[in-house]
Amino acid sequence: MARSGSGSPRQRLWFLTRLALIVLALIITLLPVYWMVNTSLKTQVEVFASPPTLYAQNPTFGNYVNLFVRRHLGVYLLNSLIIVGSAVLLSLVLGSLAAYFLARFAKGRMQQQLNFWVLAPRMIPPAALVVPVFLILQHFGLINKKLGLVLVYTAFNLPFVAWMMRSFFQEIPVDLEEAAMVDGSSRLRSFWDVVLPLAAPGLVATSIFSLIITFNEFFFALILTSTPEAATLPVGTASLIGKTQTLYGEMAAAGVVAAVPLVVFALLVQRHLVRGLTMGAVK
Amino acid sequence: MSTPAKFIIQPRGSPPSRRGRLLPWALVAPTVLFVVAMTVFPLGYSMWTSLQEYPLGQPPAFVGLRNYQKLIHDVNFRSSLATTLLFTISATGVEFVLGLGLALLLKGEFSFQGIIRSSLMIPMVIAPVVVGIIWRLLYNADVGLFSFAVQELTGKSLSVLSSSMLALPALILVDVWEWTPFMFLLLLAGIQSLPQEPFEAARVDGASTWDIFRHLTMPMLRPVIVVALLIRSLDAFTVFDQVFVLTQGGPGTATEVATLMIYKSAFRFSQFGYAAAMAISLLILVMFFSAAVTRALRGSG
Repeated sequence: MARSGSGSPRQRLWFLTRLALIVLALIITLLPVYWMVNTSLKTQVEVFASPPTLYAQNPTFGNYVNLFVRRHLGVYLLNSLIIVGSAVLLSLVLGSLAAYFLARFAKGRMQQQLNFWVLAPRMIPPAALVVPVFLILQHFGLINKKLGLVLVYTAFNLPFVAWMMRSFFQEIPVDLEEAAMVDGSSRLRSFWDVVLPLAAPGLVATSIFSLIITFNEFFFALILTSTPEAATLPVGTASLIGKTQTLYGEMAAAGVVAAVPLVVFALLVQRHLVRGLTMGAVK
Repeated sequence: MSTPAKFIIQPRGSPPSRRGRLLPWALVAPTVLFVVAMTVFPLGYSMWTSLQEYPLGQPPAFVGLRNYQKLIHDVNFRSSLATTLLFTISATGVEFVLGLGLALLLKGEFSFQGIIRSSLMIPMVIAPVVVGIIWRLLYNADVGLFSFAVQELTGKSLSVLSSSMLALPALILVDVWEWTPFMFLLLLAGIQSLPQEPFEAARVDGASTWDIFRHLTMPMLRPVIVVALLIRSLDAFTVFDQVFVLTQGGPGTATEVATLMIYKSAFRFSQFGYAAAMAISLLILVMFFSAAVTRALRGSG
């Protein structure tokens, strides 16, 4: 694994120890996930087999079929796609404009003030906002409505998007826009024609990040939605736990459905993962 | 992006037009509006709510600081805070040590590094609700791999989540499994961005590996460590999803973390005022906590 597989006995011992530790870390990380996938493919009888079978003896997709046919998982999935898609799109458009402001116009003291105001919401415990947000949405009749959750998620995404995109915009030389403006292009036009295409990779990474965070969000979704009319996939999945009782196969299958798209997305933005997780504090 | 391109910026040298001067504010206004509407205003509203009582079937009544008075004497809230703190410190501490170890183990170049690092980050991107399901399956006394292993090793059947002694450690283990990758990724990025010259110089001077780690790596890594510990402990302090899915705070109140208690009191018992008072107290604690962590970690350098 390390480059030097040969060398002195001491080096070889270190190489083997390191190899063993890495393999151990991989097993601990992946075994629980594998166990969920494994369970989701078992029949109800095999789930309870003792000792547990390490791989499904008669793999079946019956659990998945049941989820979509009998338990409306498709509806929850669709709700999630609509809500998350709208919120991410909205926060991407508005947040990029704000980010452009932060990157190009905010200077000195104002910049520091804005840093605080963009980052502070990240520090607020969700529990400190949930009661008033619930009461406000209730006032406007937006409880258990997709729109309510879209507004909430957009607001929570915006600081993140503005912050991430700011760091991507700052990497683009100002000269390029100024050249376009000298040629008679307006500020917004040069933003659209020059800056945005150059920041496209950052835009993709940022949107996938917001997608992951929003798609996985549970606390507000649990409180603001309840029925299939608006409940998202995490809420639907959690409600299954009560309904399926000992149907562990179905529970596992629901987990797989909720996890797979996200793992794929995360692998796509792996290069930007650290920057995203720390809102640009570490690159 | 349907805004017509009408904001003309003057060439350099001449003063910008009125529209040119307004443009920056037009860019930032929607974001500010959203953040004010969904963060600043709710915070204020939360404080107002915390001064009220919501009796069933009647309009809310202003009660001053009575909710906070009740809170100070509330044994459940105090024990909930203690549970939350224990959870946060244990989980963050273990994650930091393991993450640092992994980062040191996996720094530098080696074969399969891409696939190994990607695999290690999987727990972190799975929805917390799904993480809850994964561990429900593992911990389950009838079908769980974890319980099966314990039973084979000790001969005893064990249902960790229904034991008031073991439920909290079990939740901490789940958090460690889910978030060690976060520490690992951050610290690895930090280690790899350190300049190479001091390390080469130290090695030429004959410093031992431990000396290099203690006196070079750790101090130079401090800013990254501050960020990593702060983000992780703040998130652990407000943990909810996994606890909701795995134990709902039980058995008894053994795992009733603060956010869960606020949730129950607001949305199961409709005590909005009391819940808001707890939430505001939590916010104040979090602010002190993050200020203290930042100062302690920055100051000791």
